Amino acid sequence: MAAPAVKAARGRSVLALGLRRAVPRLPGLSQVRWSRYGPEYRDPQIDKEYYRKTLAELTEEEKYEQELRKTQLIKAAPAAKTSSVFEDPVISKFTNMMMKGGNRVLARSLMTQTLEAVKRKQFEKYHAAAAEEQATIERNPYTIFHQALKNCEPVIGLMPILRGGHFYQVPVPLPDRRRRFLAMKWMITECREKKHRRMLMPEKLSHELLEAFHNQGPVIKKKHDMHKMAEANRALAHYRWW
Amino acid sequence: MLKRMTRLVSGARQLDPGRFLHGEPQAPQSLAAHLDNQVPDESPRATSCTSEDDPARHGEQHEGRHYRIPLQDLRTVFPHGLPPRFGMQVRTFNEACLMVRKPALELLRYLKNTNFAHPAVRYVLYGETGTGKTLSLCHVIHFCAKQDWLILHIPDAHLWVKNCRGLLQSAYNKLRFDQPVEASSWLKDFQTANERFLSQIKVQEKYVWNKRESTEKGRPLGEVVEQGLTRVKNATDAVGIVLKELKRQSGSGAFRLLVAVDGVNALWGRTTLRREEKSLMAPEELALVHGLRKMVRNDWHGGAIVLTLSQTGSLFKPRKAYLPQELLGKEGFDALDPFIPILVSNYSPEEFESCVQYYLENSWLQHEKAQTEEGKKELLFLSNANPGQLERLCAYL
Repeated sequence: MAAPAVKAARGRSVLALGLRRAVPRLPGLSQVRWSRYGPEYRDPQIDKEYYRKTLAELTEEEKYEQELRKTQLIKAAPAAKTSSVFEDPVISKFTNMMMKGGNRVLARSLMTQTLEAVKRKQFEKYHAAAAEEQATIERNPYTIFHQALKNCEPVIGLMPILRGGHFYQVPVPLPDRRRRFLAMKWMITECREKKHRRMLMPEKLSHELLEAFHNQGPVIKKKHDMHKMAEANRALAHYRWW
Repeated sequence: MLKRMTRLVSGARQLDPGRFLHGEPQAPQSLAAHLDNQVPDESPRATSCTSEDDPARHGEQHEGRHYRIPLQDLRTVFPHGLPPRFGMQVRTFNEACLMVRKPALELLRYLKNTNFAHPAVRYVLYGETGTGKTLSLCHVIHFCAKQDWLILHIPDAHLWVKNCRGLLQSAYNKLRFDQPVEASSWLKDFQTANERFLSQIKVQEKYVWNKRESTEKGRPLGEVVEQGLTRVKNATDAVGIVLKELKRQSGSGAFRLLVAVDGVNALWGRTTLRREEKSLMAPEELALVHGLRKMVRNDWHGGAIVLTLSQTGSLFKPRKAYLPQELLGKEGFDALDPFIPILVSNYSPEEFESCVQYYLENSWLQHEKAQTEEGKKELLFLSNANPGQLERLCAYL
């Protein structure tokens, strides 16, 4: 009963996806990332508080919602998503991008070592600083991480557009998720390539994060280079048709 | 055999020499301790830290609280450094705070009531990984250093049976092997820790190093140590001589000797060192291990022996092994029998609270959710109140 329904859903999903996306991500190219789930699949509810509410506390809508979920198909929760209070989707995404060969355990341990290294460096600076400066020194590794990535996000990007047999680099506004992706990608590439052979990833990454937090360093420079190129090519902006 | 040991210790306690040995504390300090007991401060700093910095005065009322070791004491009492993660914590916080826990208090009570006329009692701290055996040992060493004992501290016996370079055949005994690097670094630390004793203790025998150098009878022990440090080839023999002389003279009453070995199961385990013919060596073929095994026997008096078992650095032992029988093996257990086993377990709920409170006071827990009740419950669940795991968790939160 469930199997043919699922199979039918999957069969439908290919067409449904093709019909759904009205605005393609890239001009002239089709979707690369498919989901094996059809549109009728609902996202899993990870939140602990949702399940802790007793029957009396629920409102009418929530009761209806719960009854509905009993009949609906629900996607499987990914292994990396937990109901921990310390969970952070940005850190999770960054860990996934650092991962090689599916070794998320190693990537997670590198991430935790990086956060620890950032914290220890900041504590050292805090103890060495005078009383007035101590209030300005940020010691929370999570705020430093988020702020550093935010500082690395480009505002405008370049896209190669084919006109008259030549590819022109056209300045284009980037959606939020592309900007976040570029910031993380630049950070990871920088830390992988531009370091001494014997230097470990947490050490390099913590150094780069702290520099990006203060709007300095090679990743910020890369962002500025991107902005400068976009500014230089602004005459080509009319090549964009969306 | 254990009954005989407990009777010895309880017999000593009946005489109650502890109070008289160390004398009554002076009036103002006792008043401070009295006030400490009477009026428990409600301020957050007081619930996790105590102002009592002298381990001799630690008692049941200080259980679960942290006490500070002055940083200059650290350099003299622990010259080799503390365990790596604790060392990092000391450098980050600019202070060394140890928690006063039950096993350490028990050991301190036994040490205060030792009868120095009886053979040295062996205390073995055992427990699962990360429960705090090494730091309890450090607490005891700090106490003995404050009481002016001579401390013979081997920070990790596992380092002597693995990854050693530059093994030499011993000149003293052709069948054994010397380890110049390990021996000289240990001699350096021994010298830093016990400077004042090295000039007082005199050698009771003439030692000939080579054709030109020798140490006469009656010279201070410091000369032997200097010889070991300058001529690295003789370092292992110098260590052997130091151990022999200390064992011989500990009974005289001029000083009290504490032998503290961390990871004592290395002495009776296996090594990963090979001879030139690529065959594995047994631990008894190493001169340092041989000397240490003799030191840990209870055929001398005038001190105590405190040992720690450790699976973390051990070779060829399963990860979950923590009991003395499992880690020491038959040979080691028979050699150490009889001993007083002291179990070091995970944090109790109060100790866990105190530890988390200490981290919060030092602003170590920066994550906003870590300060809430939900966060604390999650920390308890993830670490299972294991001190080592909790420390690693809090490091990145």
